Amino acid sequence: MIDYQILFPFLIFLPAFLGFIGCVIPKITFPLSILMLLGYATSSLNYIGRDIAYQFTLVGDGGIQFSIDSYSFPLIFGSCITLLIVFGLFFKKFTHYYYQICLVLLTALFISFTTVDLVSMFISLELLGFSAFLLIADRNDRKSLFNAFQYLIGGGLAMLIYLIGVVQAFTFTGSFLLEDLVKAPETALCLIVAGLLTKSGVFLCGLWVPNIYSHANSQSSAVLAGCVTCAGIAPIARMSQILNPISDSMIVIGVISAVIAAIYAVFERDSGRALGWSSVSQLGIAILSPTYACSYAMQHGICKALLFSTLYSDKVDGNSDSEVINSTQNMQSNHLVTKEFLRLVVFVVASLSIMGFPFLAGFITKNWIKYDIPYEAKIIYTTAALLTSTVYARLIFDRIKDFSRQPYARLILNLKYASRNISDLFASSQNYILILSVFGLILASTAAPELFTFTAVQSAIVSAILGAILFVSVVGIQADEFVKPVTRTLDLVGAPFLVAALLLANLIYLKI
Amino acid sequence: MTTNPRHLGFKGWLLLMDLTPEKLRLIPMVVLIVIGCFGLLNSKTILRSLLSLDVIDTATISIFVLIAASAGSQTPIETTSRYSSYSDPYPQAIILTAIVIGFATQALLCAIALRLGRRSPMLRYRDLEK
Repeated sequence: MIDYQILFPFLIFLPAFLGFIGCVIPKITFPLSILMLLGYATSSLNYIGRDIAYQFTLVGDGGIQFSIDSYSFPLIFGSCITLLIVFGLFFKKFTHYYYQICLVLLTALFISFTTVDLVSMFISLELLGFSAFLLIADRNDRKSLFNAFQYLIGGGLAMLIYLIGVVQAFTFTGSFLLEDLVKAPETALCLIVAGLLTKSGVFLCGLWVPNIYSHANSQSSAVLAGCVTCAGIAPIARMSQILNPISDSMIVIGVISAVIAAIYAVFERDSGRALGWSSVSQLGIAILSPTYACSYAMQHGICKALLFSTLYSDKVDGNSDSEVINSTQNMQSNHLVTKEFLRLVVFVVASLSIMGFPFLAGFITKNWIKYDIPYEAKIIYTTAALLTSTVYARLIFDRIKDFSRQPYARLILNLKYASRNISDLFASSQNYILILSVFGLILASTAAPELFTFTAVQSAIVSAILGAILFVSVVGIQADEFVKPVTRTLDLVGAPFLVAALLLANLIYLKI
Repeated sequence: MTTNPRHLGFKGWLLLMDLTPEKLRLIPMVVLIVIGCFGLLNSKTILRSLLSLDVIDTATISIFVLIAASAGSQTPIETTSRYSSYSDPYPQAIILTAIVIGFATQALLCAIALRLGRRSPMLRYRDLEK
């Protein structure tokens, strides 16, 4: 009989242990960490959707309480898959200690997904902040260093606000448990939620998201979008499950975030920034429903990781010797043509998944959320979905245009090279990952066959088509004057205060 | 016998606001937090925001310590001569981690400030945010 009391803490701290070992012996640790991630992903996939909860207390009586339940499994699966995708696609470009940082990050994520103790949450979020800081600064130029600085000072202040909320709750409840927050005063709740929202990057607190995603390395952006922002989702979902005023306020914040960030994304010209704004909007949708928040965040995280990994063609951000790579013959001999085409396909499929296109993973999670929220929020939710379709229609259009401009683009459609292209498909391990991810996204849609009603499929397709039409109609608008990037540190740092104050006003006076 | 607290001057005001000595001790810390936030939102250079963040950090930690001391101010160590009123050891133990984390944040931010200072030695936001 295995003692779960020992097994689960061991599993939680295994990635950090491997990461620190990896600093000493990097050669062996990388394949080991891949195996470990695969193990976590398969075992957590088994438990998604089942109503299993296991609670245990670390260090005996009065220690740290953990609860591994239906909130944790989807997020654990999502972050493991994200890291696998990044490890598989970018392992040649990793700088020193990159994957070690990712493994430490994974432990911080596990703690924040499973703990129900407010102070452990604080510590795990701070550890997460440090790891994310190192990932952002990985590009090592002046702008990314300054971005990392802004992230750290904003995140540090948000966590201090959170800590003040925690200590106020402690004076009323006498414990640091999440479930005891029912007895806490409104001000404490507001401060705690404002801190968590900043970490998860929902609108107004999440103004740092587009700046950082657009400028960091592709692999760092993929990890940040896939895992780091999910960390705040689990505690928010847990809180809004037990606290009615919080869940009502979350609907307001989520709806505002979903619509405004999507509007920003529509008028944004730079693809990276548009993806960042869309991430803010999607996380706003995720916090609408406490039951399905984690599944939605998982699906969004995996798709965003794929999108950021395939946003640019490989040679733009990689090889410096452009002359060699540009010659078509060389591309052909290096199997690069099929790889580029596969990257394009993955980009399109992941975009369609976030749009909620039928027979893809996003369709399922979108419909779960749609049937779970109140009617008033549903109208605005549909608007946000339409705007999201517009954003991704533009992104797909830009990506295909970018691809077709390349000299090797005609090779892919030429029948003469067809057999060779197909054999190239299985030439490199990265292709396998790309193909597997496409099939995974399609297979995930079979998880809930009862959702495939005629009206649901119809509305999803119509929303995609309407999005494309809307894109054609707004493409000519010169939006540079009224959509300016928010880069001032004051705006990024001050946002949590504003959100805390608004939440307090809502909880005490407005009572939406 | 009930007296109207309005007729008792300053003492009455304290009663009216429901201010116990435990709450009164927190007022300097709240003032510190406000000062820190003001400094953070009005700083023109990176170093000043670092200092302001540290002020808020210290104030938060002091709040934890003061709240732990509300039960009693004696050291929670069991000795042969027993004390009567211990302070609560739980928040104090927990805040140790927060102190370390605050220190680590400051160290990382200082390292970044060093790197940024090579290009713009004044470390002004105006120069860096271009």
